[in-house]
Amino acid sequence: MGKKFIKDYGCVVIFFIICVIASIAIPRFLSFNNFMTIIKQASIPIIVCVAMTMVLMTGGIDLSLGYMIGLASIACGIFIKSMGMPIAVGILLTLLIGSAFGLLNGICIQLLHVPAFIATLGTGYIIYGIAQIISNGETVNHLPEAFLALGKTKVGPFTTTIFVSAVVCLIFYYVLHKSTFGRNLMAFGMNEAASHLSGVNTAFVNLAVYVISGVLSGIVGILLTIDVNCAQPTMGGGNYTFQVITGTVIGGANLYGGKGTIVGAIFGMLTLKVIANCINLANAPYYFVDAIMGVIILIAIILENVKNKKL
Amino acid sequence: MLQKIKAQQKMGMILVCVILFVILGSRIPNYLTLSNILNVIRQSAIVSLVAYGMAMVIIVKGIDLSSGGVIASCAMISGLMMKAGMPVPLSMAAGLLAGAVMGFFNGVMVEKLEVPAFITTLVVGQVGNGLALILNSGNSLGGFPDSYVFLGNGAILGIPVSDYITFLFVIVAALIMGRTRLGTYIYALGGNATVVKQQGISSAKINYFVFTFSGFCAAAAGILLSAQMNTVHPQQGGNYQLDAVAASVIGGVSMAGGEGKVYLALAGALVIGFLRNALNLLGLHPYYQNLVVGVIIVVVVAVSMYSKNKQLEADQVF
Amino acid sequence: MSKVILKMQNITKYIFDAYGKPIHGTDVKILKDVNFDVHEAEVHILVGENGAGKSTLMKILGGIIPYDEGSMELFGQKVSFTNPRQSQEMGVGFIHQELNLCQNLNVAENLFLGRELSGRVFSNKKEMYKRSREMLMSLGFDIDPRTKVKNLSTAQQQIVEIVKVISYDSKLVIMDEPTASLTQAEIDHLFEIIRNMVKQGISVIYISHRFEELKEIGDRLTVLRDGSCVGTIDMKDFDHDKVVNMMVGRTLTKMYTCTHTPKENEILRVEDLRIGQGTEPVNIHVNAGEIVGIGGLVGAGRTELAKSIFGARKYFGGRITYLGEEIHGQTPRRMIEKGLMYLSEDRKIEGLVLPMDLVCNISLASLPRIFKNTYIKKDVEEKMAREMIGEIDVVCNSSRQLASTLSGGNQQKVALAKWLVTNPKLLILDEPTRGIDVNAKAEIYEIMDRLAGSGVGILMISSELPELIGMSDRIYIMKQGTISGELTDHKEFRQETILAYTI
Repeated sequence: MGKKFIKDYGCVVIFFIICVIASIAIPRFLSFNNFMTIIKQASIPIIVCVAMTMVLMTGGIDLSLGYMIGLASIACGIFIKSMGMPIAVGILLTLLIGSAFGLLNGICIQLLHVPAFIATLGTGYIIYGIAQIISNGETVNHLPEAFLALGKTKVGPFTTTIFVSAVVCLIFYYVLHKSTFGRNLMAFGMNEAASHLSGVNTAFVNLAVYVISGVLSGIVGILLTIDVNCAQPTMGGGNYTFQVITGTVIGGANLYGGKGTIVGAIFGMLTLKVIANCINLANAPYYFVDAIMGVIILIAIILENVKNKKL
Repeated sequence: MLQKIKAQQKMGMILVCVILFVILGSRIPNYLTLSNILNVIRQSAIVSLVAYGMAMVIIVKGIDLSSGGVIASCAMISGLMMKAGMPVPLSMAAGLLAGAVMGFFNGVMVEKLEVPAFITTLVVGQVGNGLALILNSGNSLGGFPDSYVFLGNGAILGIPVSDYITFLFVIVAALIMGRTRLGTYIYALGGNATVVKQQGISSAKINYFVFTFSGFCAAAAGILLSAQMNTVHPQQGGNYQLDAVAASVIGGVSMAGGEGKVYLALAGALVIGFLRNALNLLGLHPYYQNLVVGVIIVVVVAVSMYSKNKQLEADQVF
Repeated sequence: MSKVILKMQNITKYIFDAYGKPIHGTDVKILKDVNFDVHEAEVHILVGENGAGKSTLMKILGGIIPYDEGSMELFGQKVSFTNPRQSQEMGVGFIHQELNLCQNLNVAENLFLGRELSGRVFSNKKEMYKRSREMLMSLGFDIDPRTKVKNLSTAQQQIVEIVKVISYDSKLVIMDEPTASLTQAEIDHLFEIIRNMVKQGISVIYISHRFEELKEIGDRLTVLRDGSCVGTIDMKDFDHDKVVNMMVGRTLTKMYTCTHTPKENEILRVEDLRIGQGTEPVNIHVNAGEIVGIGGLVGAGRTELAKSIFGARKYFGGRITYLGEEIHGQTPRRMIEKGLMYLSEDRKIEGLVLPMDLVCNISLASLPRIFKNTYIKKDVEEKMAREMIGEIDVVCNSSRQLASTLSGGNQQKVALAKWLVTNPKLLILDEPTRGIDVNAKAEIYEIMDRLAGSGVGILMISSELPELIGMSDRIYIMKQGTISGELTDHKEFRQETILAYTI
């Protein structure tokens, strides 16, 4: 039982160990305010971690995710501010764009058999180009108050953003762990041929995860825009994608498909933010974060593989 | 019969390119002049160098997404050494060595830990990019010795030095692939790893070499890039790996492994170079260039995968 | 009496997993005290049914897997190989059924792979082409060594492989079903080459199913059955029926249970179905409660036929009527909803999701049926799986055990269980007992009989003739993508009759 717990929720254990180490090493770490900061910082990327977990579970990868966030950001800015659309319409259109590009990824991968990392790298380029072109490289500022209120309204100690994140996590907890779709997704990631012959609609599953990834990227794009009160085509980007992959992998989703949990996605990203927070508290410059994250994911991959080889 | 169709496909690709460039040439003044051509080759040098290594890696069924990070960090290492007063050749050698080491590390991860190539190289690229920032506290570096700048901007007999480097590398790479036993092993590994093992050939050594070579090429590209700019920018790595993948695939290197020629990867890089140049001369913003390159990658890979699958279907007896 | 070059004594091998490691908790032997020897310059034929242990024995000789007990003596030297290279260096050449050539390289590169001729820096291609040409010509094979292997026919590739093996100075060459995909003219040519090899003092171990060739080429013949050596005879004493008896000679009645009686109503009718673009049409039908066997060689199109019906592959015209209704555009999912199941040939690749537990594997195909509103009730799922595990007697520690940890026979039962919980009306079983031990086989036959008794139609693809004969109510035989014969009378169910249609 204990073994199984560690195997399934190893990331939770790691999270607490790192927190303990951090609070011993850095006195300022252990405070309510600092903790709220970490949760706030992690809440938005957790949404795309959920998406990435599902994509990795199919054995694929979505490298266009960060660029999609940028396109979503500038698109909703243009819709709502420059074009003056009603907020609900603007958001819906933005999410529609996200799902459309997700579908494009899915089609390239499932129907045209383009390797996932090539397809999503390529569409990432395209999405980035489109974001730059429609914005002409400029940002959209001074967004309507009503729009900002969607994410910034305080409910108790939390902002609505965190509730959005929580709702997404709950929905996908059900989808991934309780529904037939989640089971099919898991089977598909572990053995595509066998699941197809067992009646799993593999094409649907594979298309769906990329569409989900596109939509959730859209939500993140909107939330980030609200957060900084500014729609930018450069929001997200390649580094953001990388951060999300790192968080997801720390959370225990593996890159060969099949494995992954929502709890893992949440705690993977939290762990990452704790580490970033420590780097910050230690007054190290921002540019250390990328390199350190790279090293962390390397260690995570090596450990994962050493573990697998032993078994 | 099949060979004929394949030959036609290849010819078709080249024909399309030629027609495209003739049309572009008729529309854009100075497009097809010798000096512009040499200039495009010079601008394509970076992508070409990366593409040689990339082609080899793809031939053994791998991929190297670390090139961007290698380009940034290795150039930064060389640059810092030169600024510290070290001789230019030594500094460059150190940069190249660093690239080779990073490539070798990729090889070890792929071979020994069986990590998928795209993941380990993605991560190493990230670390490389971070390293480039850390090494000089996030700042650029400029004002290098003349001999270094000459590599990037000088010309011998009216031809840019960069062009010589491009061709030197492609000759070396093509000789390795076509004339040595190592080259045969690289193709063999991409074609049928089981056979390679059975013949007692060490697949580890092949993988190490291929990834190391790719790292080395990327480092050379990074150094050449900063020589051309007379600056090392910590984020100069950009997305060169993607252009290099595109160049390889346009040049007919199969993503399924085992097939492809290094010199055709150069052709692919030049196709991209001329396209970017045309878009530039047409006055389109660089944003469109990314878009176009992205579309090309997806379309070319999709077409090649599609025809490969058709081929497999046709090969089936039933 | 010529010299003995290979002497295998009391070779025993326990059942092993895909990596050659023994599976824990089972002591099933795939080879039991096998004695086998080869003389110098002879063609020694090895026959036996599928799963008799031929390929395992040869893999041991080829150094691909080690043996667990016994001893092996090669050229007077005691050996125990840990990798194929060692065996190769001792002069054993192994020509696998699936050829081991790099398709993307040319003939010369393949012949010299791993031992290229080198100049100072570069390979000496000219010399390699010259020598390749000579080697090929010495076997009367006129082909440009610059040709890429993928542009050669299967027969030509096979000859390249033989040339390669001979060029390694092999003194003992293993040929695993070399004639499986060759035409008669090509077979004649191959035999000529083998005779030439024997003249040069090379011994050949020749594995084949094709009886009529054996007499022509062999010197001695050894029969394996269920992992044991039944005996070795001189080809002078070759008698067809005797060899068949040696291969089969077990208590047939005990293995196969046959209590069901086919009913009148038809479940499936396939008319003019073409499984390939140029193949002849297929016509078959299956009744309720009937077990219909499909025999034929591997590669005759049996799996393709099954997958075409199941909707897992494209076919080229024809009509499929299922339960009185013509079906079009079928996918596995839709067919499963209608109660038509396909148990795949390879349970590890296409059957089970090995890293998932037994419950998930068993419920996989019935999820949409049981949990209509997408919510998986874990207790319902668990109960269903447990009942099935008990009913067909899967040996396991827990229902949450991973499928990968089971033995082959139990894995096969789980794969079958997945279909049984869906309440099938027609089951297509593709090699249902391949690679599993005798007890598990008997149990699976019993399940099949029970299903047929309850009115389920069964279409069973099998390469094992005794199984076909023992279990079927009717037998179709396939050859080159179409039905070459149908046996309806139990009196006709004999190995010879089936073989006659097969080849």
